[in-house]
Amino acid sequence: MKKILHHWTTAVLPAAAIALAATVATAQEKPEALSIGVFTFTSGPAAAYGMPGKQAAELMIERINADGGVAGVPIEATYVDEAQGAEGVISEYRSMAEDQDNQVMIAALSSGNCLALAPLAEQLKMPTIAWNCDTHQLLRDSELKYTYRPNGNTLPEFTAFVAYLLERQPDVKRVAIINPDYSFGHDAADIVKTALATFAPDVEIVAELFPKLGASTYQTEISRLSSARPDAIFSNLWGADLENFVRQAGPRGIFQQSQVILALGETVLQRVDLPDGVIVGMLGDGYWLSPDAQSKPDTVAFAEAYHERYGEYPVFPSMKMANALVVMKAAVEKAVEDKNGEWPSRDEIVAALEGMTVETMTGETSLREDNDGIVDQVIGVTTASDSHEFKVIGDMVRYDGEAFMAPVGEEPVEWIKSLEPSFLDTLPAAGSYK
Amino acid sequence: MSRLLVLFAAAAVLALLILPAAMPSSQFIMTIAIAKGFAALGVALLLRGGLISIGHAMYFAIGAYATAFMMKFGVLADLALLLIGSTLVTAVCGLVFGTFLVRFRAIFFAMLNLAVSMVLFALLSKLYGLTGGTDGMRVATPAVFGLELDKAAFDDILYYVCVGLLVAIGLLIRAYLKSPLGYALMSIHTNEIRLEYLGVSAWSVTLIAYTISAALAGLGGAMAALTIGHVLPEYAYWTESGHLVLTAVLGGIGGVAGPFIGSVFLEAVHVLAVDVAADAWNMILGAALLAVIFFLPHGLHGLLEKRAEPRKSQGVVE
Amino acid sequence: MLQSLLPLLIDGLANAALIFFVAVGLTLVFSVLRILNVAHGSFYSIGAYGAATLGLWLVSAGANPWLSYPALLLSAVFVAALFGPAIERTLIRWTYGKGEAVQILVTFGLFLILEDLQRMVFGVQSLYQDTPMTLLGITQIGNVVYLNYQILLIVLAVLVLVGLRLLIKHTRMGRLLAAVVADREVSEAMGIDTDRMYMIAFSIGVFLAALGGALATPTTGVAPGLGAETMVLAFAVAAIGGLGQIEGAAIASVIVATAKVLAVYFVPALDSVAPYLVMLLVLMVRPQGLFGVAETRRV
Repeated sequence: MKKILHHWTTAVLPAAAIALAATVATAQEKPEALSIGVFTFTSGPAAAYGMPGKQAAELMIERINADGGVAGVPIEATYVDEAQGAEGVISEYRSMAEDQDNQVMIAALSSGNCLALAPLAEQLKMPTIAWNCDTHQLLRDSELKYTYRPNGNTLPEFTAFVAYLLERQPDVKRVAIINPDYSFGHDAADIVKTALATFAPDVEIVAELFPKLGASTYQTEISRLSSARPDAIFSNLWGADLENFVRQAGPRGIFQQSQVILALGETVLQRVDLPDGVIVGMLGDGYWLSPDAQSKPDTVAFAEAYHERYGEYPVFPSMKMANALVVMKAAVEKAVEDKNGEWPSRDEIVAALEGMTVETMTGETSLREDNDGIVDQVIGVTTASDSHEFKVIGDMVRYDGEAFMAPVGEEPVEWIKSLEPSFLDTLPAAGSYK
Repeated sequence: MSRLLVLFAAAAVLALLILPAAMPSSQFIMTIAIAKGFAALGVALLLRGGLISIGHAMYFAIGAYATAFMMKFGVLADLALLLIGSTLVTAVCGLVFGTFLVRFRAIFFAMLNLAVSMVLFALLSKLYGLTGGTDGMRVATPAVFGLELDKAAFDDILYYVCVGLLVAIGLLIRAYLKSPLGYALMSIHTNEIRLEYLGVSAWSVTLIAYTISAALAGLGGAMAALTIGHVLPEYAYWTESGHLVLTAVLGGIGGVAGPFIGSVFLEAVHVLAVDVAADAWNMILGAALLAVIFFLPHGLHGLLEKRAEPRKSQGVVE
Repeated sequence: MLQSLLPLLIDGLANAALIFFVAVGLTLVFSVLRILNVAHGSFYSIGAYGAATLGLWLVSAGANPWLSYPALLLSAVFVAALFGPAIERTLIRWTYGKGEAVQILVTFGLFLILEDLQRMVFGVQSLYQDTPMTLLGITQIGNVVYLNYQILLIVLAVLVLVGLRLLIKHTRMGRLLAAVVADREVSEAMGIDTDRMYMIAFSIGVFLAALGGALATPTTGVAPGLGAETMVLAFAVAAIGGLGQIEGAAIASVIVATAKVLAVYFVPALDSVAPYLVMLLVLMVRPQGLFGVAETRRV
């Protein structure tokens, strides 16, 4: 049997490889369109986060195409709904990757789906730009060649919140955590707990709750949080879950009782009236009202066009998606340049991504050798605004992206433990980013 | 079996064998269709005994997670061993749960299966440290008889293994259904008391059927885990169990081929529907189910069989 | 001690109230029609969508916010009137006497159709309509703040329970229903219009599910998948209480909700496992449920 199989693989596989090579060769002429797949949630509770991503993709692609496309070629996107579950997502990714016309996948939003797609990207040799999925597990132990994540990972994102909290509330003693029940929530809880234990060892975790992703009611969890009397409540709930939690927790006095930290709070500012002083962030630097973003005419124009079309200003998922497309455009154009104007193959696009530094709509991202992006972290507190009806973020700080990144190859959560409490003194102060 | 039916079956198997060559993109979908077909066959067995389980997807999930765990810990991490091992694990689970579950009939049987499956679903989703929670677990590509292959070559081999197992196990189950045990199972549906008067233990007849049906679902789950490369708690959710019953009934429970016909038919319609009516997929499924129950009580398989062998098939609406 | 038990009790009862509405509808339909309606959860989510949509429309039209209360009830009545008689007269009626497999399959088909129908009508984004909750204000108990609306829910659940009891024991229609439950053939021979009784019972069931959904909207978001999730929970409660037992459903709601609340407080890792674990444990000991009548094998 072994022999037959062996024979089979030696005979059939080279033939298949030749057939594949032939199609790749023809794909190198300049195509009519740069076909990409865009994976995001367009239905279900996660759509509250996924739809802004899709809207931003549509608008960005329109703007890029109006501006001459990518190296003269217009982008054509196919959108895939991640709400159908990993099996459906894998199946669609597979069939799209088998079509040689598709050259880049912008995938995906959910960490779970990224973890499921990453091995497939390697197998199908498909350039994949993770536009969201922050889990540090994605690029940790495997040597992924085809998956890039320009927007950074959970480690800097959540360590930054601990730093900000400890600066504003040095006396915090009792902390509660309420995160969604999957890798993103558990990773963040691990990081927050480890960072607190490192920088403020006398802090006690008084409750740790993981309601399921997509839960519609949080009343029992809110009672539990209340009765634990925490000084601070940390949460990385997101999408409709976050909006649900905020709407249910608000009337029940949670925001008065404790200092609440909503890591993804920027997304609900325009929809729910949060009280003043809630610590909110955007997992990176993707705030359209940040000084950096506002200094870029293109970003201001994008935000206005976005508001015009969708009735809301972009939230940070919109900016993450826009930035992912900026990175993709830069990579393809660099690949074209490397080939002296000829159209690149998938492998050449991947090669161009390696080690790139790209100016994004809201700052800059540099791709490290492990394909992870180094992005600054912006954090602040909710404040009333003179120019907008909704709350904006004030007292901002912009932490240097590199500060919280574990060196390549090091176990990220272990790395936090190697830091000294005095490390916090080296960081810029709250309110320093104006 | 009439000559016509043999002809149908042979043509179908032949079509399965040449399909990947003719339509490479269909191979992944067909592997999944066969995997789910095995689970639906398990459900169909129980339906022949008049037992409806709305929790059977748990055995599909157990098979899939067994494969995932064996790959994770490198135990029996070879294609044949994985399939056999996962099927055995599932069969043992079926036997253990079955000793208790098969005492019940009708609505109670359906409910208890649902209860067990929901406990399993909730545990798979909540035990983050062990099962990866709602993210599920990655399933790496195993070796085939010691030979390390890349995923594409492995998928080819897996497909033909699935088709081979479909024929082999299909014949075995057919033999089982034609055996005294198989007829005893059918009489659980029609007249259980008479069966006991004949000195046959209804409990052991149903337990055997239940264990076989669990094993079939487990084998399907293992196949799905290997081809998808990822397992999720959703495999055990109650709507998945509903889909399995739907697949069995749509295909027809009168013969072994029925559930596979139903499964292949559904996957094919799904592929077509994704483009034209992605938002109405459940609606199409539901309408198809109602149409089959109202107009085709013997399922698609019954449609074939009626041509070949009128008045011999078994349906759900009896 | 009391300080720490009180929040548990209130959370448990508030949760129980919401599950009770939908579970008692399921159990009522089963007791009269002998059908386990797998699509029951869909009426819950349709009621929720209806209430949220109507409420949001009232708010945007600038209506008096107190009108959002009748809007909740109106949504439930509307859903019951629209779906109850129509579905019972067609699909459900066809399955009488056809065996559980067919009944479960037909209602599962209905469930699938209703799931997509909701996506088409109400879209796939989450809806929020919390006006009724904010209007009623809050009460502080210990150091935990509760919504008065949660307490209102508990009162309403008790009213529905008492109302159902009165309806069945003390009205003509209730006695007719009870007669049909006891023996359909004899009732028919006595001149009771059993078809009509079935339709009424089914519609009341739909109404209760939709009412549960409508009353839940002020404190929950409404999104796709709500129906499927509610279905199993209602199912667990109905099974624990004993299918067809109204008081059983009430007590089982409290048991399931308490189990869930206890899990959130003490073993958060098991919060979503708890209801099903209780269901399994109860059914293993008493398959007919706590208050059900034994019937293990058909003769």
